[in-house]
Amino acid sequence: MNFFEKLAAEFKQNFIEQNRWQYIVKGLGTTMIITLLALLLGLVLGFIVAIVRSTHDKTCLGKKGGHILLRIGNGISKFYLTVIRGTPSTVQLLIIYFVIFGSVKVDKIFCAVMAFGINSGAYVAEIVRSGIMSIDNGQTEAGRSLGLNFRQTMTSIIMPQAFKNVLPALGNEFIVLLKETSISGYIALNDLTRAGTLIQSQTYSAFMPLIAVALIYLVIVIGLTRLLTLLERRLAKNDKR
Amino acid sequence: MINVEHLYKSFGELDVLKDVSQHIEKGEKVVVVGPSGSGKSTFLRCLNLLETPTDGTITFDGVDITHAKGKELDKIRRKMGMVFQHFNLFPHLTIRKNITLAPVKLGLMSKDEANKQAEALLARVGLSDKADAYPGMLSGGQKQRIAIARSLAMNPDVMLFDEPTSALDPEMVGEVLELMKQLALDGMTMVVVTHEMGFAREVASRVLFMADGQILEENPPKEFFENPKNPRLKDFLSKVI
Repeated sequence: MNFFEKLAAEFKQNFIEQNRWQYIVKGLGTTMIITLLALLLGLVLGFIVAIVRSTHDKTCLGKKGGHILLRIGNGISKFYLTVIRGTPSTVQLLIIYFVIFGSVKVDKIFCAVMAFGINSGAYVAEIVRSGIMSIDNGQTEAGRSLGLNFRQTMTSIIMPQAFKNVLPALGNEFIVLLKETSISGYIALNDLTRAGTLIQSQTYSAFMPLIAVALIYLVIVIGLTRLLTLLERRLAKNDKR
Repeated sequence: MINVEHLYKSFGELDVLKDVSQHIEKGEKVVVVGPSGSGKSTFLRCLNLLETPTDGTITFDGVDITHAKGKELDKIRRKMGMVFQHFNLFPHLTIRKNITLAPVKLGLMSKDEANKQAEALLARVGLSDKADAYPGMLSGGQKQRIAIARSLAMNPDVMLFDEPTSALDPEMVGEVLELMKQLALDGMTMVVVTHEMGFAREVASRVLFMADGQILEENPPKEFFENPKNPRLKDFLSKVI
């Protein structure tokens, strides 16, 4: 058997026989669902925390006053950031599955989404906060002096500009999140990575299933990068001078 | 129209305004001059509460607005247009959107009405061809004229100008001052902080001299420039004219 025949045989054994390719497809589906839902949760959490933190820093820092709710919100946000960024995501996933939802029966995917979403939110929060802080205070003043309220100024003036500035960093975070979900196997979730190891355990060959899994991640990331570049270009249309 | 009584403002240890009282009538054009750091801008920014006064009262149309908050404050600000030294146009929006954003967001006009008004305003400031441009494509003078148009879109009762020509190249100062003169001729109530003595002389109904957080002299321009009494003002005028 020459090299190519060997490869073909391995391919057949790992993916065609007993329809093992289905592991990969199902795993890919699970990975995508977890990533997408965690992404949404992370974005929502991240934006809320970022707005609370930056509003607090802009209005309360160095002053005696400041809204009491804002101060409490800022305290909670800081605690959240410290804990989430200070512990490994694998440990967070295990704690959410075995400790927090340990005594109740909940869907594993739900647990994974919670874990990765809460984890990603902490990073998104700091990325978005840096974006908000990068916008000149004059923009807020211009908005408020026109009679727009805080929320309107935030949504139609500050956020669109901040979002544009942080898009590359956010894209980075999405890529990290996608790959981070590969630890879902720790709570026995059959995600893409686990599909690879599952096939490996049945066929005793490592090369084919693991390289296949790696390639799939790579293709998704390349696609995601393309999408982000497109979005960046669209948002950059007002940079023309 | 605007009545300021015993206004004090300090930033931490620094006392910026010390007992400033001022009455501004409807239709008056008040020009504030003085050395840097004298509190001119802070005084102006206190009028629409971009800065919160430390002490004293500000009355607008007979209503005490010193402690206005939330919706009440937003409503007051609609009536006071503000033009900034650094224009503070919204760089992510077209010129048309810059002008229509506030009236539409605040539900004062439909999109069509606002667009029509924007066209009229653009014609008035002589930039009809720039409606679909982005701020980044305009010169400083053009940006400032758009900023004035944006403020006018709210149909304010009074316009506040915070050193509107200080950030401009010398050859662009004229076009902005010309527009401001037109506004003055149309009867707009104006409070202008500026270093343009020619403008003060020509347009002002009253000129205020501020130094060290106090108004040291106020007079109609003829008297103000030809017969200054305060030694600080004499010194100042000898340096700038």
